[in-house]
Amino acid sequence: MEIILIFISAAIVNNFVLTYFLGICPFIGVSKKVETALNMGMATTFVMTLTAAITWLINTYILIKFNVPFLEYVAFIITIASLVQLVEMFIRKVSPALFRALGIFLPLITTNCAILGLALFAVLREYNFIESVVFGLGAGVGFTLALVIMAGIREELEFMDVPESFKGAPITLLIAGMLALSFMGFAGLLSV
Amino acid sequence: MAPDGEVTLSKDFIKGLWKENPVIRQILGMCPTLAVTNSATNGLAMGLATTFVVISASTIVSIIKSLVPRQVRIATYVIIIASFVTIADLFLAAKFPSISKALGPYVPLIVVNCIILGRAEAFASKHPVHRAFIDALGMGVGFSWALILLGSIRELLGFGSIFGFKIMGAWFTPWIIMILPGGAFITLGIIIGLINQFTGSRTVDTSCH
Amino acid sequence: MDKRIIKMIVVLTATAVLSGGILALVYKKAEPLIEANRLRELKKAIFLVLPEAKDYKTVEKKGFNIYIGIDENGSQVGYAFVATGPGFQGKIKMMVGLANDMKTLTGMKVLEQVETPGLGNRISEDTFQGQFKGLSTEPEITYVKNKKPEKPNEIQAITGATISSKSVVAIVNKELKKVVKALKEEEVEKTYGP
Repeated sequence: MEIILIFISAAIVNNFVLTYFLGICPFIGVSKKVETALNMGMATTFVMTLTAAITWLINTYILIKFNVPFLEYVAFIITIASLVQLVEMFIRKVSPALFRALGIFLPLITTNCAILGLALFAVLREYNFIESVVFGLGAGVGFTLALVIMAGIREELEFMDVPESFKGAPITLLIAGMLALSFMGFAGLLSV
Repeated sequence: MAPDGEVTLSKDFIKGLWKENPVIRQILGMCPTLAVTNSATNGLAMGLATTFVVISASTIVSIIKSLVPRQVRIATYVIIIASFVTIADLFLAAKFPSISKALGPYVPLIVVNCIILGRAEAFASKHPVHRAFIDALGMGVGFSWALILLGSIRELLGFGSIFGFKIMGAWFTPWIIMILPGGAFITLGIIIGLINQFTGSRTVDTSCH
Repeated sequence: MDKRIIKMIVVLTATAVLSGGILALVYKKAEPLIEANRLRELKKAIFLVLPEAKDYKTVEKKGFNIYIGIDENGSQVGYAFVATGPGFQGKIKMMVGLANDMKTLTGMKVLEQVETPGLGNRISEDTFQGQFKGLSTEPEITYVKNKKPEKPNEIQAITGATISSKSVVAIVNKELKKVVKALKEEEVEKTYGP
């Protein structure tokens, strides 16, 4: 039950992009086509789930064990950067087709604050291993959801007559605001 | 030589304030910009913390630029940035616990604020120390004022105060939406749109990548 | 080629070692201050929910900490404990004060919450928290809507934020039961001794 709550909370109720503002850069920059958004979302979800698992291990078996909490940020960001590299090399070897679909997004993921945010939130909330992984997966799904919805709206937006000065980032931010408000409707799903 | 040098320095500083303002012009560092600006004080604190990190990181990067091999430069920069962020985080937690609590995990997230790595990579690694310092200072101040502006507007309309001082009288009903996540997006969208309108320019949508 | 790789390794190692060393130093300076801040916050919250307390001692019972408040004469004035649970949007964390008789609350203070600003987050306001002072916990705390509470175990829910109010009541009830149980077991142990 707890696990389902964590998943739903990360994916919908406290959506990473729309409530915590994590992963805004790709949200504003990349989300122009639904298909690209979906691929980007899947690549990110994959890395997020993996990151959640590995940073949990690092936190538990290195940072806590050797009592060096002050290395948390350095350790996490190095882990994430190396992880993304490894995933990139691995996918390129194993499935060139998948690499063509996801490859170009992988380098962008390192600087996506949603990944580091995920690792930090998982530590802050004192999740155990399984909870961390589910949290990572949920956050990834939430990120994908927000990205795809935004891309869908922006595809329609192409045909709209947006004032010149609001084109690009400003209109995207305004739409994101509406989305964030509508996602608030999900609040309360979790309460007793 | 001297006057020329001064002109470059002041240019290095001023471009961050307006023409290349990280928030309003370059749409960088959105995550802290939106997340912590529910009050002017939080915006100021985040601005100062980020300014500290960007200045320190740029200065160090500029000093060691000739020592670092090209292939590992990003890794080195990231370690340097993460270290300064840890220092800023520990300092806030020790000296200003309430601010530290209000900003929460958004302090460590300065690590992935694209402004900092961006300045290290695009400017500090190619310019002498004094210019790197001034450039970083400009970017930090530019980032800070944008955050304070956003924080003040949201706090004024959402709580009726600025920096905790009551501005609006009892007649004022706070606009709750302004302190909700949705309000952050909408306020920033309107600010950037209006600035574009009045300056007749478009946002350079560089993003961090 | 080899030389370049060596240089890469040397630079990276040097950066890592230097940053680790500096951070260790800074941490050593900052850690006692951070710990002191944490304790001061805790103390403030305990004294708020146990107004007569001038000092406290911590006992650990079944995995959670119970703080026993003591007045200036050294006699016990009540218990305080931290209650955590799910609210409308996320976790709510509270400090709850319990009188010696274990049937009356002496106060409640919300420590952390992420409820909706302007509605649910009003659980942090004194008008709401104050209702828990002197509240009877028997048979169980309940809430009423849009009218003044009549029974000694009732509080009035915040208008427009029934779920947040309900969550607070549910969390307090649930954690209270656990604490009272743990405390009673301790008493049994004291009386009959192992």
